[in-house]
Amino acid sequence: MKRIFQHPEEPATGKKYWRSLGQLSGTPEFKGWLEREFPQGAAEFNGGDVSRRSFLQLMGASMALAGLSFAGCRRPEKHLVPFTRGVEWSIPGKALFFATSYPTRKGAAPLVVATYDGRPTKIEGNPAHPVSKGATDLLAQASILDLYDPDRSRFFLEKGKPSDTATFEKALDELIKGAGDGTGLAFLLEDHASPTRERLRGLIAQKLPKATWTVYEPLGSDLADEADGVAFGEGLAAAPTIEKADVILALDHDFLGTDGDVAASRAFSSRRKVEGPDSKMNRLYAVETRYTITGGIADHRLRLPASQIGGFAAALAVEIGAAAKDAGLDALARAAKFATASFDPQWVKELAADLVASKGKSLVLAGPRQPAAVQVVVAAINAALGNIGQTVTGRKVSEKPAQSLVQLARDLADKKVKTLVIIGGNPVYNAPADLDWANLQAGVPTVVRVGHYEDESSVNATWHVPLAHYLESWGDGRASDGSYVSVQPMILPLYGGWSDLDVLAKFAGLPKPTGPELVRETFAAVAKPADFVTAWAKFLHDGFLEASAALPEALTFNAAAATKLVTAGTAPAAPANGSAPAAPANDSYEVVFIACPKVDDGRFNNNGWLQEVPDPITKLTWDNAALISPKTAKKLGVETDERGTADIIEISVEKRTIQIPVLVSPGHADGSISIALGYGRTSVGRIGGGTGVNAYQLRTTTAPYFAVGASVRVTGKRHQLAITQEHGVLEGRGADLTREATLGEYKESRDDKTYFKTMGMDAHAPKNVSLYTNPPLNTAESIDPHAWGMTVDLNTCTGCSACMVACQAENNIPIVGKRQVIDGREMHWIRTDRYFASEGDKDLDDPELVSQPMMCQHCENAPCETVCPVNATVHSQDGLNVMAYNRCIGTRYCANNCPFKVRRFNFFDYNERKLTELRKWNLISERGMEDSLKLGKNPNVTVRMRGVMEKCTFCVQRIQEAKIATKVAERDSGKVRIPADAFTSACAQVCPTGAITFGDINNPESAVSKVRVSERGYRLLEYLNVNSRVTYLARIRNPNMKMPGTEKIGAAMKSHHGHSEKHEAAGATGGGH
Amino acid sequence: MSDAAVVSLETPKELQRVPLVANDRRLTWITDSVSDIVESPTPIWWWLLFLPLSAIALFGLVCIGYQISNGVGVWGENHPNGWAWDITNFVFWIGIGHAGTLISAILFLTRQKWRTSINRAAEAMTLFAVICAGIFPGIHVGRVWMAWFLAPLPNANGIWPNFRSPLLWDVFAVSTYFTVSVLFWYTGLVPDLGTLRDRAKSRVARFIYGIFALGWRGSNRQWRHYEMAYLILAGLSTPLVLSVHSVVSFDFATSILPGWHTTIFPPYFVAGAIFGGFAMVLTILLPARLVYPNLSDMITRQHVDKMAKIILLTGSIVGYAYLMELFIAWYSSNKFEGFTFFNARLGLGGKGYYSWAYYCMMFCNVISPQIFWSKKMRANYVVVFIVCMFVNTGMWFERFVIIVTSLAQDFLPSSWGHYSPTWVEIWTFIGTFGIFLSLFLLFMRFLPMIAMSEVKLVVPEADPHHPSHSAGSHAPALPVAAQPAQEGAH
Repeated sequence: MKRIFQHPEEPATGKKYWRSLGQLSGTPEFKGWLEREFPQGAAEFNGGDVSRRSFLQLMGASMALAGLSFAGCRRPEKHLVPFTRGVEWSIPGKALFFATSYPTRKGAAPLVVATYDGRPTKIEGNPAHPVSKGATDLLAQASILDLYDPDRSRFFLEKGKPSDTATFEKALDELIKGAGDGTGLAFLLEDHASPTRERLRGLIAQKLPKATWTVYEPLGSDLADEADGVAFGEGLAAAPTIEKADVILALDHDFLGTDGDVAASRAFSSRRKVEGPDSKMNRLYAVETRYTITGGIADHRLRLPASQIGGFAAALAVEIGAAAKDAGLDALARAAKFATASFDPQWVKELAADLVASKGKSLVLAGPRQPAAVQVVVAAINAALGNIGQTVTGRKVSEKPAQSLVQLARDLADKKVKTLVIIGGNPVYNAPADLDWANLQAGVPTVVRVGHYEDESSVNATWHVPLAHYLESWGDGRASDGSYVSVQPMILPLYGGWSDLDVLAKFAGLPKPTGPELVRETFAAVAKPADFVTAWAKFLHDGFLEASAALPEALTFNAAAATKLVTAGTAPAAPANGSAPAAPANDSYEVVFIACPKVDDGRFNNNGWLQEVPDPITKLTWDNAALISPKTAKKLGVETDERGTADIIEISVEKRTIQIPVLVSPGHADGSISIALGYGRTSVGRIGGGTGVNAYQLRTTTAPYFAVGASVRVTGKRHQLAITQEHGVLEGRGADLTREATLGEYKESRDDKTYFKTMGMDAHAPKNVSLYTNPPLNTAESIDPHAWGMTVDLNTCTGCSACMVACQAENNIPIVGKRQVIDGREMHWIRTDRYFASEGDKDLDDPELVSQPMMCQHCENAPCETVCPVNATVHSQDGLNVMAYNRCIGTRYCANNCPFKVRRFNFFDYNERKLTELRKWNLISERGMEDSLKLGKNPNVTVRMRGVMEKCTFCVQRIQEAKIATKVAERDSGKVRIPADAFTSACAQVCPTGAITFGDINNPESAVSKVRVSERGYRLLEYLNVNSRVTYLARIRNPNMKMPGTEKIGAAMKSHHGHSEKHEAAGATGGGH
Repeated sequence: MSDAAVVSLETPKELQRVPLVANDRRLTWITDSVSDIVESPTPIWWWLLFLPLSAIALFGLVCIGYQISNGVGVWGENHPNGWAWDITNFVFWIGIGHAGTLISAILFLTRQKWRTSINRAAEAMTLFAVICAGIFPGIHVGRVWMAWFLAPLPNANGIWPNFRSPLLWDVFAVSTYFTVSVLFWYTGLVPDLGTLRDRAKSRVARFIYGIFALGWRGSNRQWRHYEMAYLILAGLSTPLVLSVHSVVSFDFATSILPGWHTTIFPPYFVAGAIFGGFAMVLTILLPARLVYPNLSDMITRQHVDKMAKIILLTGSIVGYAYLMELFIAWYSSNKFEGFTFFNARLGLGGKGYYSWAYYCMMFCNVISPQIFWSKKMRANYVVVFIVCMFVNTGMWFERFVIIVTSLAQDFLPSSWGHYSPTWVEIWTFIGTFGIFLSLFLLFMRFLPMIAMSEVKLVVPEADPHHPSHSAGSHAPALPVAAQPAQEGAH
């Protein structure tokens, strides 16, 4: 491999250094050798991972790029300089933070990325950006692992054979030269709103006017866009302002999960932060098919097949029309031809009354996967409730519309396309099954495929080009609030990949950008700054352009167009428009294709963190499954046992069939089957291989999100699923573990400060008496004045599990693989326990749900510490229960004696062995971690070996860093107290709802010390006298007391003993009762 | 004596003591028949047993090597179940050892003469069982090569072991127990080794036995020292019988886990250990009697009967403890305790993952020994052997029940989890049986299985007033049972 290196000019004056006599003499042989740069070392790049040497080169360059752009906003120079001479801004072991953003179809997520020595290691939300405010979702957290994925595409491939950048560039130049006016040239891209991409699109349209531009997202927002276009006019989109709503109804809309972003979660939870009995809470009604985290936190939940949501919306519209005396709404609702839904009419009646009662302050949300007609009816309801302009605001759509995939498929079928450029995406895998995309694509003479992986769509492509990760490339985007955000690289492309902008720039007739020049031009056009240099520097520094969020647009509901759509409804993309899909009949089932909260549409299929993080509701890992209700399972005669062995069923929709294991899911609608998309990939890396079943095979253009009339056959085969939580019910321990009350009960007990502290066992256990005094804990006057503590607010925790992956990234927690999860050996330091609760744990058809994050409770009287024979787990001065890994011999006694079972043991050398070879004799199997994965580790956290115990440390590395910073700043003053909330743990930082608060409980200024004195606060298993440092805040439900079934709400999670009895018992000093 | 009475020297038959050595055997006979086992050529059956058993032992060692090489993950343990077969097997084996120490120390101090014919084998069994037991805590840790951290050595960082941890107490208790048991056993062996040395025909045997006999001459002085040493060691061993298993039970009792956190554990564990130990002694000696018919004159029906009675007694104590645990779980009205005992163990509500193991334990340990109330059954060797096998099984299940049912379903239902063993841990356990039995076969082959010198002390001939001591007399002795000296000898 001959590469041209541009070594910096030697200084004209001063000493000269040379590496060899050859260099000194400047012979041509030496120069050739120098340019060839370690000829034998070429293998280092071809054969395997990035070697240490080449890594240092990349690292140096990325520092130069990132750093110089900050310092002087000059065009970055391309010298590859190893750190033989240190750069002043880089201190080994100290993180440098850069703002960037992660482009997604829902809008770019603003981020701040921690880098060590030029290696990005941890993603945080951008605290300055109003969408993120420091939080991220699960997917953004995990996206950093894709950067280091050893299975990522590393080579340019020409017809499957390795090639290189130069050859590709030459071929591309020829292709563009021969493209003429663009006839026969088609672009197929993923949806993300990049102004620079739009600008390049404009340039390409000028140069190649006949070229077509298609954007395809398997889980896009096309139906919502269509509905908004009809209801409010073209070019306008409706955006809910959830924080303003008192009463919210989510119709098949998982706005806290897969259908929303962190801003939605924050907006919702801002109205669930209960400071006292008089706090005003919002009320959430959820109507959904399967349990989602939105349904889990809802005050009232109704399970309904997805195809009946329309019927429900219509019925609701009729009720609201009557209650609000809105004849228009009534007419619209009656015109709609939706499948009849079966539900308790009282439910919808009371719901309508509640919505009408808070007119202008209510909000009805329709899921983006519901037909446009349903969404239009919901828009009409919002209009009738006077919510438009209040809780629903408008926003201009900034992107020009693109061609649909169906149209492109038609072009392909007609052989109109000679060159297909696929950037990102994976249409062969995820295009609707009826398009038969694989065959269509095979018929195109030239396919240029730019992708992260050599995946299904790269097979048979003329060219496969590695796509640069967003942490490797320059770019820009728009966040979900419309604000303009930057994408800047942290590191040069590890495998020489091109970004989408690089490829599009070539088509636009520009040279392949070597830096941010394209983005700078866009920035100049978007921001129109007076002082470009300063504004650009600020843009990169902040990660976004100030005051660039989309301004609210006035919305007017177009009843006529809405009625037309609802009655006529012939839009091709929406299957159930107007036409009435039959409700699931007795032997025919409805199949709902859902977005996987973990692998999304399949793009994260090779991401080990996401494969292993359990689904927030089902706790399933490494697979997808057909979710069905217990009743349906009984009817079919199938089951999933506690250990995860599941029957396999065969589902057929219009002669397309798949075989998939069932997972019996409490709270699922009967007669409906939910299957997560994104699994069953055929051409994928080592992580994603063999995971799940491809549900895209059942998905067609006419029924993209749910199909009715499916038939099911029980195959008699079984499959082992890896489920992290075997047992889902509380076993009557709700009053001990997951305390809650309704808002009414909370108000009634306002004078009883011990109301939440004396439920369950704590109501009866006598006061703990110690036979000896413990050494005093540290106080504000101690040498170390801190006492670390945490609170978890069950009222705002949705269970989204972003904390689990944040913790994994921060603390170098390995993945263990499917087999090990089945064996019960997952390593997560924080887990999200999910309980289904119903009275007596009997009826699991429609249970309530509660999520409870569980991490080391850092007990002051830690049971793990006394039993460790070698003093490997001890207490630190500031109240941490710490692990000394190099002292641990692995007796596992500490884990046995932990009442919370939060300790994690390295049963194998997960960091040093391939997951498939864990059981091979150590002596004969290959050892070592993939080099690229080493780059992503947090250098301040030990990578643990086998045989040692590990667990949550309250991010001790962050605590120490803050202490050092304080001591350095304070010098000799002797004040060593870290300012309140100067830093936080990874889980608290990522939490989009702010449910987790971490800090110094000795400091009265800190947020955690204010929260933990709440009367809702309780500690788990208080009667054991472990004195944990984690306080849970009891959940408060805000039910509508008129709704049917309200009296049962929370019953399963309350004490089995009445409160009247409780006080006598608590007052008594004797044992029990 | 009453003048009216017709004095009879004969004690009525029903009141006669059964002789400890049957068939009125002489001292020589005892020496000959015990030494003969060692001196005669190796029988075929011995090789037929030894070869497969040592192969199993070796395979067990291979499994251990595999586990150490790869990690504890090759076993079936997981996150709620941090311990399973490893500690179950450890407690099982350590319990078995207790019968040997009880027989050799406590029965010695209480002058139970019937112990003499079984103490040697029982003590050997103790040692081998402790060796098997010692394997498990050694290998079950994640980093075996760091296990020396358990030793109270101040290292460069000044870190000592944690003296609050019951596991550390275990280390001290078990190592003390093993050391004292070895000394006790070896001390008792010295006179017999002297005998073997003197009888040895080959130079090699004479040399080896000579080395280990420590120059035993049988002089009065040596006997005096010997008996003093033996008495002291018996005194030292006696508290160990109680302490070792109490300390082992602290592993559980001092924890906070429902099902472990129980004050009844120390006595219950000791009783269980003696119970299981006696069963194992019988399991081994009954077949040994079959193979060497001469032994049955020394290990007589009354030995078997007495051991069966001890099994009945200790089994009932264990049964009481089981019921008391259930009572306390109910009486405490602690719902977590209640769940562990009533749901996880008894399986009420169908919620116990391993309640079958609980019932298995109950049947084997509590129900099956009750058959020993019948004298007829105690006298039936087949029945005794079968009950002993039940007890061996039941005592293993007792430890499994305590460890696994408590761990698998504890406080937070979210972290409940099943456990099942892998072939590695199954074969490691089977391998320890291979080690135990192989060692026992070697013991039978090379050392006197019965303490000759001690048995000789309890035969009537040992009495200085025995008629056989009158010069040249070979007159038949008085009926042994009539010997008042029997009680007073030594």
